[in-house]
Amino acid sequence: MVLEEEIPRFAAWIGPALVRYLFAGGLAAVCAAGAAWLTQAIAHGPLAAGDRVYRGILAGLADLAGTSPRRVWALARLAVQESLRRNVLVVLGVFGLILLFAGWFLDPASVDPGKLYIGFILAATNFLVCAVVLLLSVFSLPADIKSRTIQTVTTKPVRTGEIVLGRILGFALVGTVLLAIMGAAGWAFVVRSVSHTHGVAPEDLLDTTDESGATVGATGRTSLDRGHRHRVVIGPDGTGVAETAQGHRHRVRRVEGGYEIGAAEGLLEARRPLRGTLRFLDRDGRPSAKGISVGSEWAYRQYIEGGTPAAAIWTFSGLSERAFPDGLPLEMIVRVFRTHKGRIEDGIHGTVQLRNPDSGQRSEAFPIVAREFSIDELFIPRRVGTMLADGGTREVDLYEELVADGRLEVWLQCLEPGQYYGVAQADFFMRTGNGSFVVNYAKGCLGIWFAMLIVTALGVMFSTFLAGPVAMLATLAVILVGQFRGFIARLFESQVTGDFSIVPGGGPIESLVRIATQESITVDWDPTPAAQVIKAADTVLLAPMRLAASIFPSLSELGTGDFVTAGFAIPGDLLAAHAAETLGFVVAFALAGAFCLKAREIAS
Amino acid sequence: MNVSGPSRSGVGDGRGDVIVETRNLSKTYRDFWGRRKKVALKPLDLEIRRGEIFGLLGPNGSGKTTTLKLLLGLIFPTSGEALVFGSEATDVRKNERIGYLPEESYLYKFLDAEETLDFYGRLFDMPPDERRRRALMLIEMVGLARDRKRQLREYSKGMTRRIGVAQALINDPELVMLDEPTSGLDPIGTREMKDLIVDLKARGKTVIMCSHLLADVEDVCDRIAVLHQGELKELGRVEDLLRVGDVTQIRARGLPPAAEAEIREVLARHGGTGVEIGNPKTTLEDLFLEVVRDAEARPGRRAAASLRGGDDHSTRAG
Ligand SMILES: Nc1ncnc2c1ncn2[C@@H]1O[C@H](COP(=O)(O)OP(=O)(O)OP(=O)(O)O)[C@@H](O)[C@H]1O
Ligand SMILES: [Mg+2]
Repeated sequence: MVLEEEIPRFAAWIGPALVRYLFAGGLAAVCAAGAAWLTQAIAHGPLAAGDRVYRGILAGLADLAGTSPRRVWALARLAVQESLRRNVLVVLGVFGLILLFAGWFLDPASVDPGKLYIGFILAATNFLVCAVVLLLSVFSLPADIKSRTIQTVTTKPVRTGEIVLGRILGFALVGTVLLAIMGAAGWAFVVRSVSHTHGVAPEDLLDTTDESGATVGATGRTSLDRGHRHRVVIGPDGTGVAETAQGHRHRVRRVEGGYEIGAAEGLLEARRPLRGTLRFLDRDGRPSAKGISVGSEWAYRQYIEGGTPAAAIWTFSGLSERAFPDGLPLEMIVRVFRTHKGRIEDGIHGTVQLRNPDSGQRSEAFPIVAREFSIDELFIPRRVGTMLADGGTREVDLYEELVADGRLEVWLQCLEPGQYYGVAQADFFMRTGNGSFVVNYAKGCLGIWFAMLIVTALGVMFSTFLAGPVAMLATLAVILVGQFRGFIARLFESQVTGDFSIVPGGGPIESLVRIATQESITVDWDPTPAAQVIKAADTVLLAPMRLAASIFPSLSELGTGDFVTAGFAIPGDLLAAHAAETLGFVVAFALAGAFCLKAREIAS
Repeated sequence: MNVSGPSRSGVGDGRGDVIVETRNLSKTYRDFWGRRKKVALKPLDLEIRRGEIFGLLGPNGSGKTTTLKLLLGLIFPTSGEALVFGSEATDVRKNERIGYLPEESYLYKFLDAEETLDFYGRLFDMPPDERRRRALMLIEMVGLARDRKRQLREYSKGMTRRIGVAQALINDPELVMLDEPTSGLDPIGTREMKDLIVDLKARGKTVIMCSHLLADVEDVCDRIAVLHQGELKELGRVEDLLRVGDVTQIRARGLPPAAEAEIREVLARHGGTGVEIGNPKTTLEDLFLEVVRDAEARPGRRAAASLRGGDDHSTRAG
């Protein structure tokens, strides 16, 4: 799962975030007031313009103070009634159709069907809900202005802020109901789609015996269902497991006349991870800030070379006997980058080792096989063997000898020369527990809800001064710039610093030229005068985009669907931060909308 | 109506508090690029006092609706200012005490009569009981009791107008602005509307109305202003404006026809009992046509005093 940064604690995050928010908001307000003054100054001269703007701001603030919940609610109800009149419920039918088609074309035999279904359902829900509220919000106010029904409203003691807020509230309410219905239906669909069991035929089972020849259990395999089967191991007491395949396993129980295989476990999970910090050793065993980037996947994932001392080292802290009395439930996702094909159906072999960060004492190496795309579990028991200086081993207690003040190092090394392991900090973790999948799914829907709120507020804000279709384009533009805000920020940094490696290929004009001349983006331009002019022009073009990128919302960053699909519990801190961010945007957009509407001649 | 009676309104004549005041109020509509499209209102000075029924007259496109919209803050003045209840017209708080019936009733067609009044009642922050009470009362008053559960999209023009009036009165306003209140109403509706306006005045409300139906205006208005192409052409008390100053009318009852010559003689010396003497009235229609014709013949000037046979002072009313 993509986790670019560590999730900060909400309490630590909110302070600086609030300061940044107020600063950006203040700056935007000052700019808006300046723009208003400029336009007024053209018509009325600088002094009168100053007076007008000043009085406008005062009147706007007085309006805010006079906001009445009853009026807001009346307008929100009206917005809901309007939505119903526009037949928004049709979208539920569309969603139903999508589910129907999804049932056909999504492959339940895929590598990780849980991931596939949840990802699809969340994406569809997100898209539909946001599209509906976008259409509702951008066309409502312009239609009201065009039909002049707004004149009967604004000649009542209605504050423009109430009109804006009422609309946001009303459409958000519609969006919320749609989201709730789609979310529930989607959940039922996912659960139904991925749940399955297998059979186990007697001829597929072989008894296992101990040294004396007595039967102590059985091994074998399940039937092939949904494109996969499991290896079955049954213990002496008649219970066992169908081992992990396709990201899940089943419990096996003896029943009359054979064995019964239970429901799939681990498909729809909400893991709670305890994560460590990651550092690397390079191929010569020296500490390196980074591993070797092989240029594929995401930049944040670093690669270590097999058959060398290169290692990825996580340092965990907070490990205690109380938290993990039986041992450490280490889980890992290890990506592979092959420089030669090898045997493609086999995983790449490597080891995991524990090390005491203080004494340097090491455990024996646990062999692992990197299976890409699925989470491997490695349970580290309380008693582990440690390496002695003479090459022998000694069994010690995990907490007594290896864990120091709750800290422990976990080393990952790849054994196969010429192959690489790719890991990121988030890829190794101790599973501290499991959240409920339903709750996690609901939290994922909450992320969609945040996005829906922002789209609504943005749409209503633009509709206060733009015609419907234009307001829609403007909203989409903001969302788009927000979506690429990280890229725009890096591109701008690359332009300004001249560090070509941050974003190769340059800004908009340079890219166009490169496309026209079919030039590779990996080759930087010589500093000819022409190149410098183009680069300077690009920087000028990018500056406002950079500014916009720093204040526009990013809906994808608000989305937490990735957590749900990857099977991780969404951290409360992240959710709280997203909630605060959403609130901030909605408040800012509502305020901007209120002032724009107030400054507008509603009847001309 | 008693033509020669005392002042028709209890207030006026420079007394009473000013509810609406415009100073040099003008409006030029501009297009998106700021180019001027239309001078809809040339600098206008008006004062309207509590308890008055004030009529705005003028041909189509003369700026009546524009004036009302300026007073309501729906559009902003190009220059000058409009004060309503002493504060600027763009201040929303004044709307608490205002009722407005737009030119056409701009209402949400998907609501029924009750929902409509309930909605606008909420916008006045009225508590539920009061909303229900006022809504029922007004629906009864405008004669829509039987149709109160029907969506407005099904309403006829006159019915829409009626619910529009009810909507304008939901807050029991002190100042009522009616843009062509009788348009679309049947004769009975028109009569009721006029009664309603007079009744509002009797309850101390102030009414500003635009209308093309001069007979209606003549019947109810205390004062009128006539606009022509955005310019004020005539302003004054209806009775003053309609008085023909250079003609004297004598009416008497119970006199034999033979006495006429004698009465003339007697009248010349001393007044007889039961004799009514005054100026006859023209109709507002005649006045209106004259003002407009005069304005077209001599643009840029206030209507000539001669039009009304002297008595010029009454036009400088207020
Ligand atoms: N939004 C607008 N944009 C441009 N011009 C406008 C606008 N609204 C009104 N006008 C113009 O302003 C002038 C006055 O219009 P207004 O609506 O005030 O007339 P009116 O006296 O109410 O006419 P009527 O008796 O037809 O209702 C007209 O020439 C009209 O074309
Ligand atoms: Mg009009």
